[in-house]
Amino acid sequence: MGSTIVTRWLLAATALAASSAMLAACSSNSNTQNANTQNSTAAGGTIIRIGADLPVSGGDASDGVPTANGVKLAVIDANKRKLIPGYTIEASVVDDAVNGKHNPSQGAKNIQAFASDPTVLAVVGPFNSNVAKAEIPLSNSLGIALISPANTNPDLTKGVLALQLRTSNPNAITYFRVCTTDDIQGPAGADYAAQVLKVKRAYVLDDNETYGKGVADQWAAQFQRDGGTILGHDHTVATQHDFHALLTRAASLNPDVVFFGGTTSTYGGEIRKQMADAGLGNIVYFGADGIRNDQFLTDAATAANGSYATVATVNASKIPAAQTFLKEYQAQFGQPVGSYSANGYVAAMTIVDAIASAMKSNGGKLPTRAEVLDQLRSGKTYKSIIGEFSFDKNGDTTNKIISIYGVRNGGWVFLTQKNYAK
Amino acid sequence: MHEFLQQLINGIALGGVYALIALGYTMVYGIIELINFAHGDVYTLGSYFSITILALIPLSQFSSGWELWLIAFAVILLAALLCGIVGVLIERLAYRRLRNAPRLAPLITAIGVSLILENIMQIWKGPSQIPFPQFLPDHVYIAGGVAIHERAVLVVVVSLVSMLVLNLLVFHTKLGTAMRATAQDRDAAQLMGININSTIAWTFFIGAALAGVAGFISGIYYGTTFFLNGYDAGLKAFTAAVLGGIGNITGAMLGGFLIGIVEAMTSQYISDQWTSVVVFSILILILVLKPSGLLGEHLPEKV
Amino acid sequence: MKSKSFGRGALLLLAIVLFAMPWLDKNSSHISAYADTGYIVLLAFGLNIIVGYTGLLALGFAAFFAIGAYTYGFLASPQLGIHLNFWPMLLVSAAVSALFGLILGAPTLRLRGDYLAIVTLGFGEIVPQVFQNLDKWTGGPDGIAGIDQPHLFHYAFGFNPVPYYYLYIAIIALSVWLLNNLRNSRLGRAWMAIREDELAAQHMGINTTTAKLSAFSMGAAFAGVAGVLFAAKLSTVSPGGFDFNTSVMILAAIVLGGMGNLAGVALGAVIIGLLNFLILPQSSNWIHGIGEQLHVSSLLNIDLNAYRFMIYGLILVFVMLFRPEGLIPSATRRAELHAELDEEPAV
Repeated sequence: MGSTIVTRWLLAATALAASSAMLAACSSNSNTQNANTQNSTAAGGTIIRIGADLPVSGGDASDGVPTANGVKLAVIDANKRKLIPGYTIEASVVDDAVNGKHNPSQGAKNIQAFASDPTVLAVVGPFNSNVAKAEIPLSNSLGIALISPANTNPDLTKGVLALQLRTSNPNAITYFRVCTTDDIQGPAGADYAAQVLKVKRAYVLDDNETYGKGVADQWAAQFQRDGGTILGHDHTVATQHDFHALLTRAASLNPDVVFFGGTTSTYGGEIRKQMADAGLGNIVYFGADGIRNDQFLTDAATAANGSYATVATVNASKIPAAQTFLKEYQAQFGQPVGSYSANGYVAAMTIVDAIASAMKSNGGKLPTRAEVLDQLRSGKTYKSIIGEFSFDKNGDTTNKIISIYGVRNGGWVFLTQKNYAK
Repeated sequence: MHEFLQQLINGIALGGVYALIALGYTMVYGIIELINFAHGDVYTLGSYFSITILALIPLSQFSSGWELWLIAFAVILLAALLCGIVGVLIERLAYRRLRNAPRLAPLITAIGVSLILENIMQIWKGPSQIPFPQFLPDHVYIAGGVAIHERAVLVVVVSLVSMLVLNLLVFHTKLGTAMRATAQDRDAAQLMGININSTIAWTFFIGAALAGVAGFISGIYYGTTFFLNGYDAGLKAFTAAVLGGIGNITGAMLGGFLIGIVEAMTSQYISDQWTSVVVFSILILILVLKPSGLLGEHLPEKV
Repeated sequence: MKSKSFGRGALLLLAIVLFAMPWLDKNSSHISAYADTGYIVLLAFGLNIIVGYTGLLALGFAAFFAIGAYTYGFLASPQLGIHLNFWPMLLVSAAVSALFGLILGAPTLRLRGDYLAIVTLGFGEIVPQVFQNLDKWTGGPDGIAGIDQPHLFHYAFGFNPVPYYYLYIAIIALSVWLLNNLRNSRLGRAWMAIREDELAAQHMGINTTTAKLSAFSMGAAFAGVAGVLFAAKLSTVSPGGFDFNTSVMILAAIVLGGMGNLAGVALGAVIIGLLNFLILPQSSNWIHGIGEQLHVSSLLNIDLNAYRFMIYGLILVFVMLFRPEGLIPSATRRAELHAELDEEPAV
C-alpha cells in the first residue's frame, strides 16, 4: 500500500544522492580552500587557539591530565610574556578517551573538529601511539600540525609503516614529537638492566597494546644483543587482573628480571604486587614510562621497591630553566608534575614559537597553518626546559636522552640519564 | 609437576571468587529466569563498600590476629548487608514491573542497570585502580614446592562456607522452600499462599549479599579494585553458573572453581592472552551441546 | 487523507534537509559526525532484523561489524599487499559477515532466548580478542593502517567527509527499500511469526531453521557493509572499537527508537549517533561556555563524556520501564507490550 510510494521516494532519493555526490565532488575541493581563506580573514579576531587532544578521563587520566596541564601552563606563560603580540592564546583541551580508555576513532574526530575551527593553528597530542595512527593521516591530509608529547612508537615517523600514514601527502611532514622513541627507550632500559643491574634471564610481558608491545619487543631484542636470555614472552588480556597463573609460569623458568611493557592502567602495578605472591618479589621488575608514576606505587604497595623504569625524556629537575617551570606548575595546579607535563609544555611552546616566527616573516599577519608547518619543518634549534633540540626530517626530536628511575623506599628516584644521540 | 599443582591452587583461588558470584546468578535465574547482568557490578560494589567501611576503622590500633579477623567478619557482614539492599532495590525499581514482559525487556534493563552502576562507581572513587587495605595477617604455607597464601585459603574457605550456608537455607528453611516452589511454578506457589514478591526480593537480597562477600574477599586477595572489574568477573561467573548447571547451587560452586582452573591452565600451557577466548568458547560449547550443564536438570520448554 | 499528504510533505522536507546539509552546515567535523551516524543506522538496521523482526536477542553484534571492517582491511590495504576495489568490497564484506552470521546462528537454533543472548555475547567477546591476538595477520593492537579509500570514477574520497555522507545516505535509502520489501515478504512474515511464538510458527509449517539463519546472515550482512564504510572513512581499523560497549550502543538505538519499526530504528540510531559523535563531545564545551557567561565556576569543570555510558544505561532502563515499544513503535508491539504490563495477576 504505502510501500510503493515509499519505494518511489527512496529510488528518487538514491538518484539524488548519487548526483549530489558528483556535485559534492566538484565543490568539496573549494570547501577546503574556503577553510583556509576563512583562516586568514579571521584576522579580525584576536584569539589564537592551540588544540590539545589527550586522554583526560578514565584510566589514562593520570597521565593525560598532567600533560594537558603542561600545555595550559605554556599558554598562560606565553600570554604573560606576550610572545605573540596582539593576540591572546587559548588552550583548547579535548578528550580522546571513551569509557575510560583512549580511543583512536574519537581522536580522529577531535582532529577533524580542530581542523574545522579556523582559530586553531596547531595541535598538541595525542598521548597514545594507536590514537596517533588514526590522527596522523588526518593531520597530513588536512594540513594541520600535530606535535605529540608522548608517542614513543617509532613506526609513526620512520619506515614503511610511517609512509602508509601519509598517503595524502607523502612528502609533507605534519606530525612531530618532543619525546624520543621506543627504539631508543627500549634498548636503553635493556642496557641498564644488563650492564648496571647485571641481570641475565628475562621473562617479558606486555599488555598487547601498541605502546606496551612495542617497547617490550625493543627491550627484549636489545637485552638479547647485550648477552641476556629471553626465557619467554607473554601477553596479558585487558580485562583480567589476576596474574598468578602467568607469574607462576614465569617463576618456573627462574628469571632474574621481569619486564612489563604497558602502563599502570593495564595493571603494571598489580603485576609487581602479584610477583611477590609468586615468589618473584625479590627480583628486578623493569618497565618503561607507562609505569613511572604515583599510581604504580599505590598499586604495587609493599612490593614496589626494586622496580625500575625508563622515561623517554630528560629529568626536568636537572635543568635550571626547568626549575621555574616546576614551581609554577605546583603553584598553578596544586600538585607536582607528571611524567610528561614538561613535554606538554614544550610541545605547546614550540607551537607558540612557530606562530610567532611565522608572523615575523609574513609581515605581522596572522599566519596560516601551512606557514606554521613550514616553521616547524625548518630544523631550527629550540632552547627548552627539556634541553636543546630540533626536529629532524622525520619530525622526530634530536634530543635522545633517556632517564632511568628506580623505586627506593617506596618512592621513585632518579638514577641516571644517557644521551643516545649519535 | 609442581607447576601443575601451583596452577591448580591459583585456579582454585581465582575460581573461588567466580563461584561466590555464580551463586547469585544461579539463584536469580532459577527463580525468575532472568540473567541479572548487573550482578557482576554488585560484586564490585561490595569491594567499594568494604573500602569505605574500613576507612572508618583505625586499623593500626589492632595488631592481634583474632581482632583483625573479627573486624574482617564484621566488615563482610556489613558489606553483604549493603549489597543485599542494593540488590533488592534494583529488583524493585528495575525488574519487578517487567516480570511478565517478554524475556527481552528485563534483560535489556539489566544491561542498563549494569552501565549505570559502573558509571556511579567511576564517579564515586575515580577511574583508576583503588587500593584495598591489606590488614589481615598473611602467611605463606610451602609444601612440596608449592606455595599457598593464607589469602587464597580465605577465598576458598569463604566460598565453601557460603555454599554450605546457602544450601542450608534453600533446603532446610521455610524461605528456601518458598524459593524452590516459586522457581518450580510461580502461579502454583502463589496459589499455595506464598508471597511471591517477598520471596523474589529475598532471593535478590541473598544473591547480592553473596556478591558483596565476593567483593570483600577479592579485595583482600588482590589488594586492589577497579570499577570495571564486575563486567569481566560477571561474565566468567555466569559462564561458571551455566557450566555447573543453571539453577543448581553446587553446580555454581563447581563451575566457578572449574573456570578458574581452566584459566590458570590455559595461561600455563597455552598463553595468557588466550584465556578469555578459551573460557567464552567453553561457554558457547556448553550452551550449544549441553545447556543443562554438568549438574543441572534438563528444563523442558513449556508450551 | 490529510495525514497522508502531511506525511509525504514531511518526508520531502527531510530529504531536502538531508541533501542540503553540507551546504547548511559548513563545519566539516559536523559533517563527519553526521556521516558516522550513518554506520550506526546501518548497524541498527542489521540488529533490527535479528532482534526486532525475529525476536532473537543478539548481544555480540559488534563482532560482525569487526569482521566486515577487518575483511576490508585485509583486502584493501598494504597489510597483505592486496588492493581490491572499494565498491565490490561492499558486497564481499557483506557476504563474509553473512557467512559468519550463519556460523554463529547454526548452533544456536535450538536455544532459548536468554541462552541465545549469552552465546552471542560470548562470540562478541571472542572475535575482537582473536583479532588482537593474531598480530601477524591483523596487526594486533595496532590494527591495520593505510586502508584504501574509495574512488568514484576519478574522484578520490580521501578524508573529506562530504562524499562519505552522501554515500551513507544512498546506502541507507537502498536499505530502507530492501528492508520494506523484505518485511512484507514471506520471509519477513515468517520472522514475525517466529518472534510472536516460535513453536506455533513451526506447527504452522514455517521452516524456522531457514528463517532464523536468514535473519542472522542478513543482519550480519548489514554490519559487514557498515564495517567497510567505517574502515574506509577512518582509513584504519583496530580491535578497540568493536567491544561490548559498541553492541550495547546499537541495542540502545533500536530499543529507544522502536524495535521492529524501520523508521523508529533509524530515528533511535540517529539520536544515539548524534549523541555519541556530536552532542556529548561538544557538550562539555557548551557547558563551559555557559559557565563562562554566567560566571559559574563549577560548570567549567564538567565533562559529560565521562557519563556517556550512564546515559545509555538510563535510556535502556527508562525506555524499557515506561515506553518499551520505543519512540516510533510498530502498532503490534505497542499493543503486545502494554497488554502484558497492564495485566492483573490471576490471583
